[in-house]
Amino acid sequence: MSGIRKRLTFGKVLGTLLVTLFALMCVTPLIYMVAVSFTDSESLYIQLSDLRPGFDNYEYAIVKRNFGRALINSIITVTGSCLLVDIVSAMAAYGFEKKPVPGKEGLFQGYLATMMIPGQVVLIPMFVMINHVHLTNTYAALILPMAGAFGIFLMRQFMVQVPDELLEAAEIDGCGEVRRFVTIVLPLVQPALITLTIFTFNAAWNNFLWPLIINTRSDMHVLPVTMATLSSNSTTNYGMVMAGATLTFLFPFTLYVFLQRQFVEGIALGGVKG
Amino acid sequence: MRAALRRTGRRRKQAAIGCAYIAPSFILMTVFNVFPIFMAMYFSFTKYNMVSAPEWIGLENYQKLFTNKVLSDALINTVRYTLMTVPVQTVLALIIAAFIAESLKNRYGSFLRSVIFIPVIVSLIASATVWNIMYEPKGGLINQALNLMGFPSVKFLSSKATVLASVAAVSVWKNTGYYMVIYYAGIMGISVEIQEAAIVDGASPLQRFFHITLPILRPITYMIITLSIISSFQVFDLVYKMTGGGPGRATYTVAYMIYAYAFQDKRIGYACALAIFLLVIILLIHFLQSAFFNDREVKA
Repeated sequence: MSGIRKRLTFGKVLGTLLVTLFALMCVTPLIYMVAVSFTDSESLYIQLSDLRPGFDNYEYAIVKRNFGRALINSIITVTGSCLLVDIVSAMAAYGFEKKPVPGKEGLFQGYLATMMIPGQVVLIPMFVMINHVHLTNTYAALILPMAGAFGIFLMRQFMVQVPDELLEAAEIDGCGEVRRFVTIVLPLVQPALITLTIFTFNAAWNNFLWPLIINTRSDMHVLPVTMATLSSNSTTNYGMVMAGATLTFLFPFTLYVFLQRQFVEGIALGGVKG
Repeated sequence: MRAALRRTGRRRKQAAIGCAYIAPSFILMTVFNVFPIFMAMYFSFTKYNMVSAPEWIGLENYQKLFTNKVLSDALINTVRYTLMTVPVQTVLALIIAAFIAESLKNRYGSFLRSVIFIPVIVSLIASATVWNIMYEPKGGLINQALNLMGFPSVKFLSSKATVLASVAAVSVWKNTGYYMVIYYAGIMGISVEIQEAAIVDGASPLQRFFHITLPILRPITYMIITLSIISSFQVFDLVYKMTGGGPGRATYTVAYMIYAYAFQDKRIGYACALAIFLLVIILLIHFLQSAFFNDREVKA
């Protein structure tokens, strides 16, 4: 009996060590990234004494290397995408779940089917279309395609829980259609809206291929695109490149620190049910 | 009678209001999701360079596709990349989730989960940039560690032998936390009674893992494998930033090939044929998965 217990404890210790080691491997590149961003050496053999407490690399990246502009573009794009996806998805989910629209289930299945289409298939025609209507190098070109079936699917799962009786009672009390949606439905599905906002934030913030091809003017670049063009045309100024990477990482990371539970629950929810 | 009329009138009105709620999504979905598929199909039968009008050439693009040596290389690379990433990240995610759920039900366990999830939120381009520097032959952290242990430096990204695995490793680093979170939620959903009954019956943790946890998690495993195969088949950002498809064609993947044909060579028609080919592969994976899954469900 004690032999078994000993072996179990040994297994537990070993397992804890291994998982800890893996967690260390997960953050080492990021710690390295931040460390290099605070050095001005051209070599990667950095020592603790090479670390400079100043923000020279960040200043250089932001002022001279377009990161300032890219940051503003990313923030505008992400804000616009989150608003658009939240509003469109909540409205559609409400229509699908609470209104007697004929043929709605078929349409909903059609929406779901589009989730199987790989991005590369729609990318080229979308490029041709956006070129045709002269919307290249605009925020609209980045924001409008962000709306998709996933948000509607997610919102609808929460919309089921909004009680019909509540809506009927409000209607009898003379509460109008739009007011019912804004003051009763939206507050009730707020957790889903937060989850969807986090999803959209990540998708829009990290979106790369589409912004790369559609907004070619450098004053319309978003962070990942600036990041990608940066090191290919500069000498190995590692400190500056890593300052850019750290900037790109900082915003989602801050969001993660404050909304960790929603991040993780959202993924688990989308995953387990999806 | 009048009441009934009023009811149908009310129903009609509600249906119209419902349509108004659905309309914005319908317009966006049609313009950006559905219409482009048909456009891609049309372009795939044409010769088109975005300057002159598309010229109908029938099946020529597809015929060229299947005799294209570059495509067979890209397909082999994509499949090899998928085989390097999917099993590793799925098994790692499962083991870590199961271990934390079983043995680290404390604050340290939840701290570890939080840390392992961090790479998920790093953008692929930032990940690629950081790992490019990690892999540097001169002074990159990994080679520094290798040198310290007495090994010679490895040219991770410029040698054909190591490049694909090096890119795959970044994907494993980035994705394991994501699937771990899904597995963890699944394990937490397993009822305590089942686990306790097994403990009373004297089942060891390993027996419980193989005979209870694993079978119950089967639907999640299928979903994770499908999702990750599909995302591996579309790998682009990492390849673009880390290798540009090289050295030679060692990391040339299907998604990268679509990009190169469409936006570097401006062969829109040919690239669309390739994209439709990718679509067929991905639909096939979906159907295989659901057929396989339903089959298993019936037996279970």
